[in-house]
Amino acid sequence: MQAIRVENLSKTFRVKKKEKGMAGSIKAILHPQTEKIQAVNGVSFQVEEGEMLAFIGPNGAGKSTTIKMLTGILYPDGGRVEVLGIDPTKKRKQLAYQIGTVFGQKEQLWTHLTPYDNFRFFGAIYDLSEREAEVRIEELAKRFELGTFIDTPVRNLSLGQRIRCEIVASLIHKPKVLFLDEPTIGLDPVVKENIRSLIMQMNREEHTTIFLTSHDVGDIEKLCRRIIIVNAGQIVLDDSMKKLKEHYLQGKGVEDSAASDVSLEDIIMDVYKAEGRTAAV
Amino acid sequence: MLTAVKNQLRVCLLSLKYNIMREMVNKVTFLTNVCFMVLNNAALLVQWFILFRLREDVGGYTLREIMLLWGLTAASFGLSHILFARVFSLSELIIKGKLDAYLVQPKNVLVSVITSSTDISAIGDLLYGVALACACSPGIGGFFLFLLFTVTGTIVFTAFALLIGSLSFWFLRMDMLENQAVMGMISFATYPDGIFQGISRFLLYYIIPVGMAVWHPVHMINSFHAGTLFTVLGYALLLLTAAVCVFYRGLRKYSSGNLMTARM
Repeated sequence: MQAIRVENLSKTFRVKKKEKGMAGSIKAILHPQTEKIQAVNGVSFQVEEGEMLAFIGPNGAGKSTTIKMLTGILYPDGGRVEVLGIDPTKKRKQLAYQIGTVFGQKEQLWTHLTPYDNFRFFGAIYDLSEREAEVRIEELAKRFELGTFIDTPVRNLSLGQRIRCEIVASLIHKPKVLFLDEPTIGLDPVVKENIRSLIMQMNREEHTTIFLTSHDVGDIEKLCRRIIIVNAGQIVLDDSMKKLKEHYLQGKGVEDSAASDVSLEDIIMDVYKAEGRTAAV
Repeated sequence: MLTAVKNQLRVCLLSLKYNIMREMVNKVTFLTNVCFMVLNNAALLVQWFILFRLREDVGGYTLREIMLLWGLTAASFGLSHILFARVFSLSELIIKGKLDAYLVQPKNVLVSVITSSTDISAIGDLLYGVALACACSPGIGGFFLFLLFTVTGTIVFTAFALLIGSLSFWFLRMDMLENQAVMGMISFATYPDGIFQGISRFLLYYIIPVGMAVWHPVHMINSFHAGTLFTVLGYALLLLTAAVCVFYRGLRKYSSGNLMTARM
């Protein structure tokens, strides 16, 4: 069964234009001008239940905008979205009970509270009874090894500990789909590896569908079985990780793919460059 | 439906509890904040005591009515800033794209946003307002009306801030106007309505609704009039409905943001 179905999705933003300096500011007041930015342009794809998908692209490619439309944060200008058969624009609350989100650059936790109090708060948000919340917190705290810092205020945690807590908070209600927007940003290699194994374990044990955006090739290689690359709001590549290398080399006219030493990073960089953009991968 | 309301209320109360817990981490700061707000308000009233030594009434108000006016303004302002403090910085949340965390929760987004913060010094405003009302000896009926109008005043202040703040979905830098409009409303609310005439009086009753929040109520505590009561209740409801509609209409235009943020 399909967990996510996206058809012809589009989103544009209007951005104010201003010329340099004070004169430009005055001119912008008298004759305001706006520019239309096409953030997402006719994107279509499907994700199967239990799948782990990497949705990547250079900065400004439209990844976060797409995630935000899938989670009900933004309204699309055109096209159709269904997550678990629910349209986020019409039934945002109903969908929210079934999905989890982790935005690596945005904290959802209250910094002055301990992770435990935060989890209790999130339990209340998802209508869990005190008993249900308690059982779930205990289970997740054990799995994510939060024991030593579960009663320490979030503001005193290291970044790695905080991200683990962010993920736990997003899992408190057993979501069927988890959206991870750069979850390992700023983490050291050991903590990154730890977070990846926890995500994989969760996918294996709870059959959670994972929708991941990341600039980290390690995240993509180790977690995902399929990759979608977007650029300038459009999908430029959609392939399984298994066949990606083979198809890429065939496209380059190389016959013996096994003999060629090409990494995922090379392929991604090549796709970005072919589309006229480079990015820090 | 009832369960949904109960669950939403549970989250709001937890949010209030956690906000107060944050402020009470330092008890001295917490108590000083509340006490200084009471003292600050009391100091502002001194000028009226001096003025009423020189003349018997100002704009048709006696000292007792001025005290009621200040009491009702402080109590309504206080209650709205205790329960719905975030509505007074709604523009900033919209402009900086900070509504994301609330939009991914299975709760009413507007209620979750506006109840997500508490201004602790507003406890001082509320206490001061109630104390002033008691000092005016309005009687049991009068005190009941004072409490009722504190609630309607809270609704009017909150809805007005919500309406202005929601315009940020369409216009940039509405945060400045939001702040000016709300503070302007509070300032006008501490003067008797008799000193305003003509167009300014009309504006202050219906557009910047000071009249509905405090002036009509003060008149009714002195001399009850059922028609005016229904006008105030109806206006509060109408303003709230309009503000909620504008917020949800604007939410469709919300453009989020990618700033790195922390929930404080």
